[in-house]
Amino acid sequence: MKHRSNDWLVGAVIVATMIGIVAATLFLQEADLGEKRQGITARFRDVGNMQVGNAVVIRGVRAGRVKAIELADQGWVVAEMDLDEGIALPKDPVVLIQASTLFGEWQALITARDAAPSIRDVATQLADNAGAPPNALPGAVLPDIAQLTTYAGGIANNVASVAERVRTAFNDSAALELRASIRNFSVLSNDLARAVRVQSRNLDSIAIHVRAGAADLASTTEALRRTAGRADSATAMGEIGRIVAETERASANLRQATDRLNALSASLMSTEQSLKSVITKADGVLGKVDRGEGSLGLLVNDPSLYRNSDSLLVDLRVLIQDFKKDPKRYFALRVF
Amino acid sequence: MLETIGRVARGSLESFGAAGNLTLEATRSLRDVSTWWPNLSQQARKLGVDSLPIGILIALFTGVVLALLASYSFTNAVPRYLVGTLVQKTVMMELAPVLTGLALAGRVGANIAAELGTMRVTEQVDALETLAYNPTAYLVTPRILAGIIMFPVVVGVAMFVGLGAGWAASLLLLDLSSAEFLKGARWFFDAFDVRYGLVKSASFGFAVTVLGCVNGLRARGGAQGVGAAATSAVVQSAVMILVLDAFWAMVWLLGRAK
Repeated sequence: MKHRSNDWLVGAVIVATMIGIVAATLFLQEADLGEKRQGITARFRDVGNMQVGNAVVIRGVRAGRVKAIELADQGWVVAEMDLDEGIALPKDPVVLIQASTLFGEWQALITARDAAPSIRDVATQLADNAGAPPNALPGAVLPDIAQLTTYAGGIANNVASVAERVRTAFNDSAALELRASIRNFSVLSNDLARAVRVQSRNLDSIAIHVRAGAADLASTTEALRRTAGRADSATAMGEIGRIVAETERASANLRQATDRLNALSASLMSTEQSLKSVITKADGVLGKVDRGEGSLGLLVNDPSLYRNSDSLLVDLRVLIQDFKKDPKRYFALRVF
Repeated sequence: MLETIGRVARGSLESFGAAGNLTLEATRSLRDVSTWWPNLSQQARKLGVDSLPIGILIALFTGVVLALLASYSFTNAVPRYLVGTLVQKTVMMELAPVLTGLALAGRVGANIAAELGTMRVTEQVDALETLAYNPTAYLVTPRILAGIIMFPVVVGVAMFVGLGAGWAASLLLLDLSSAEFLKGARWFFDAFDVRYGLVKSASFGFAVTVLGCVNGLRARGGAQGVGAAATSAVVQSAVMILVLDAFWAMVWLLGRAK
């Protein structure tokens, strides 16, 4: 009797446990026993990391799962998907494979062709599918996080390269030399302004003298013409008259030269004013830089700021390279 | 000191050698069905069914603690539904088999060693031989078979209870919804997890019962010898469980990881 009782109890426990384990397994696997499904097929050039069992999603709602993935002829990959019964596909549907999470989980998204993201690569893949059989939906794979980090890594490399060049070209001694150059330029600009002022004054003086000389020459010419007129009557050849006429033309030329000199002098005055203004502004800016005001001033006068920025960029580059090399290291979940 | 080391090493090797011999004898005794079959259900009840309460209790608290621990660890960057993932993976693959195995090593291993040790020192084993009974078929084979069959049953129940306890704790204590917990639990679930845990627990059952039988049958002297045999059985079983745990991880998990 006791044997029979033991047999019954042990048998009941074993059967109950087996049923419980099988039921729990089916529940966790979301197995669909006896549920009707509709199958669809999609054609891809590449399916990325998609695997059998991954979710099929329509407008963000899980609508089925990937049933099978197989290599096909002419470099295609065909994926079979089971959709829940009664699911209506969008108009002109395409299947996009994409990462659904940062943890390596992928999904197949069924969407309308015109709702597909406007990525050149995706458009190329979908266009490549133009000759697909009528029962196979065109498919494309979207770039995953690894590709994005590759791009980010490239950008970081460029930034780090620029930073490296700046560091090479703009070290402490370069900053000191730049400061010395700024001081020298300031002195040079002052000297230049002073020279321009002196030369302008000299030109004014020359112009005044030339104008006075021209006036004198004109009056002399007039007197000479009168004298020549009187003498011309005395001479029959008229040579004196020609001499006087040429002298008159020379005097006119001289007056024109004087006017040009006056214009030049005025222009020089204007140039001096402009130069003075520019030099004043440059002096102000360079003075700020020299005093360490503003970003450039801080960068020139405080090497630690530059070093910190550069160190940050280098760290960023290392981090992105490491992330690019093994993204799962930051996101992968392992339990025992 | 060298003598002590040598003695300990020889003792250990003797134990494992005796375990190997006993396993071989028990395998041979499988043919003697009429001797071991009547005792199988009794041993299965004693080793398995009667051990269910302790297995359930361990799994209950393990599931709750795991859910709270996961919630405490997963902050900011890690989604909270991964609590379900951690509870499912950890309970099914590691904690249910190992913790239950260790508890049963104490309960079952000591029980077998004490029982057989007492029979040995009171010469009941010799009496069986005198009565033309094969003591291995009568005493050892049903215990080993019961261990191999019932350990996975107890561990299976522990898995079920542990997962349920983690689920309940997530709902009641962590303000996590059922959908979130199940999403995490289902996300990385693979039927292999269950298979791995159950096969591992079957090997634990084999090791615990064999070591219990070996130490019990090798007991000498009186009550002191029986106590020493029980102690040895528990210690060796616990160590063997950890060794087998590492063995299965290397054999199965390492292969799958690649």
